[in-house]
Amino acid sequence: MLRQKPHYKSLSEKWTARQKNLRERLWSKHRESLEWLVYNSKQLTVGSLGGLLLLAGPSVPFLPTQPPLIASSQVDRNIDKSVFLISDLSRALPNTVRSLTDDEEQKVAEILSRTFGFSVTPELDRKRLNRSYGLIGLEQHLARFPGDHMAIHFDKEEEAKKFYGDGMAPGLGAWGYFVQSREQLTEKDKMREKYYIAVQTFLVPDYNQRVTEYRDFLKFRKMLVINPQNGKAMVVVIGDAGPAERTGKHLGGSPEVMSYLEREDGAKRGPVIYFFIDDPNDIIPLGPIVPKQNAYG
Amino acid sequence: MGKHFYSHIIETATLSVELGGMDLSKEERIHLIRLVESNIHHTVLDLILSELSEENKKIFLSHLASEDHDKVWDHLRKNIDNIEEKIKKAAESVKQELHRDIKEVKSK
Repeated sequence: MLRQKPHYKSLSEKWTARQKNLRERLWSKHRESLEWLVYNSKQLTVGSLGGLLLLAGPSVPFLPTQPPLIASSQVDRNIDKSVFLISDLSRALPNTVRSLTDDEEQKVAEILSRTFGFSVTPELDRKRLNRSYGLIGLEQHLARFPGDHMAIHFDKEEEAKKFYGDGMAPGLGAWGYFVQSREQLTEKDKMREKYYIAVQTFLVPDYNQRVTEYRDFLKFRKMLVINPQNGKAMVVVIGDAGPAERTGKHLGGSPEVMSYLEREDGAKRGPVIYFFIDDPNDIIPLGPIVPKQNAYG
Repeated sequence: MGKHFYSHIIETATLSVELGGMDLSKEERIHLIRLVESNIHHTVLDLILSELSEENKKIFLSHLASEDHDKVWDHLRKNIDNIEEKIKKAAESVKQELHRDIKEVKSK
């Protein structure tokens, strides 16, 4: 792999972050007008991607190097589909971060199922969490087997560089070790630890009456988690219980989850949507996911 | 700078030249120039949309999307006082920040 020069890396990171802030501010201040443009872009005589740059999705490592003038039919294809997802979700979600009503959950489930092409639901097998929309905080890495520690936790150097500093939780996850020895660790186990969230199992209304049933159901249960403000989505599993109610947070995400969703802990923490994925044959892979190709025509 | 309706009043050559003098590959330089343009573009759009009513925002955005620069300017001049000066000032402020960033990384 080519090594990036330090000047480039530094400027690229800084300017991409600034671009992201500007875009978020733009959408936050002028959402109604921009959504109007998104929904009417097919009817308008759209001339160039340059004019619609504001609709581009989250930053990519290299922006397109083609000349800005392209045919209008190409523009439609190039408008990041996450923009439509963001817009749809903004209509379905309340202005404040609170538990969703049944109607709101239903609308969100429909949007997500249509966008990603598989069944997404707030309730599965008559089981649901205490909420499906809430503030996410940063969790630490989990020990996958006895003796797992930070120095041997990562397969790739770049991952270690990025996520080593988040450290390992002093205790085990809610389900204990993922496997009983390093030799037993499979790729699936690694993915489960990498892409996990912690949910407040202890706040599920009827959890205490159905402990065993819920424990078996929630253990590594596959979920879709989405940052509604940038449309970034990820397939994850429930890997731990938490955070405590007093923290004011409603769920936690592994360092990898938080990084991808561009969510931060502390004063800058923000909401995510988290719904069950109905995947009885376990065919949907864990990790980042984008809207299916024909999600928005 | 890509052809935007304001391209004739905002120059980014000084930034391009400065990036051109740095140890960057062609792709890296192009990417940084794109980021410069994007930073300026978002700033200009925010400035304009902040000055327009909801109805006029939609008119502006539809002219922008159809790349009808004459209509864009007619609309802006009719609805925002001294719009050229305001755009120039906002873009200049962004450019100064970007120049500062370049100076900072060069000094490291």
